[in-house]
Amino acid sequence: MRITCPFCGERELGEFTYLGDAKPARPAVDAGEDAVFDYVYLRDNVAGAMSEHWYHGGGCRAWLKVTRNTLTHEISVVEPAAGVGAAKVGA
Amino acid sequence: MAEFSWEVRSPLERALVAGPYGARGDAGVSLTEIRNFDLVQVMARRGKAADMAGAAKARFGVAAPARPEAVQISDAALIWSGPDQFLVLSKGGKHAIEQLSQAFASSASLSDQSHARVLISISGAKVRAMLAKLSSIDLHPASFPIGAAAATSMDHTSVTLWRGNDRTDGQAVFNLLVFATFAESLWHTMLDSAAEYGVTIARSEELA
Ligand SMILES: [Zn+2]
Repeated sequence: MRITCPFCGERELGEFTYLGDAKPARPAVDAGEDAVFDYVYLRDNVAGAMSEHWYHGGGCRAWLKVTRNTLTHEISVVEPAAGVGAAKVGA
Repeated sequence: MAEFSWEVRSPLERALVAGPYGARGDAGVSLTEIRNFDLVQVMARRGKAADMAGAAKARFGVAAPARPEAVQISDAALIWSGPDQFLVLSKGGKHAIEQLSQAFASSASLSDQSHARVLISISGAKVRAMLAKLSSIDLHPASFPIGAAAATSMDHTSVTLWRGNDRTDGQAVFNLLVFATFAESLWHTMLDSAAEYGVTIARSEELA
């Protein structure tokens, strides 16, 4: 499997580390225990296109958001994760 | 308080034995460690990438690399190392961290890497065959021309690789920065990869 890093180009899988599901979003401070439990522990077991975080630690050390089909390993989208590169963050 | 006497030594002090290695005859690969350089990591602060680019232009007269490439100026190389960051490689202190801190004071964070990396210059007629055993990067001249750079891994070790100017005999030169504590391991791996072609091992004080 190869991942095309938006900064580095196409690279072998060994340069990357898998973090996991990119969907969960940190709940608001007052969201309640159930929302926090869901955020921390509960994951969908997706069969098909899944949004995932990968780390290009063996290359540019950027976090990436990868859309990967868990059935075929086909990768359709690779983009910088939120906050990657100081320029992407804004002020 | 105890007095310490620090002695600056290359991480390859023990591993590097200058002279021929491996197959006899004309050496297909030259491995040269380049010592005593100034290396500064420049990383844009949050939202300051454009300011950093402007500061680099003002300081060096050229745009900082915004994609994987190494920009050579007369007395330094600016080497891309990731999004909104690059390395400044030079000699003699002119572009050392103390000299750069003012220029980037409002846009970037600097980190002195001079003693944190080992710089190895690799060339020779068999250089691409040898590097192909270690790297998955396409180093064909059409894909990796002079000035091309990559943040990548060799033998599970992060390296910064870039192509310098050709030697006077026309041979391509690949420069490699590796973390100091991984240098000896990677050095042995490179010797193993190059042995069948014959190797010339040397040290140098000159940036390629
Ligand atoms: Zn990358």
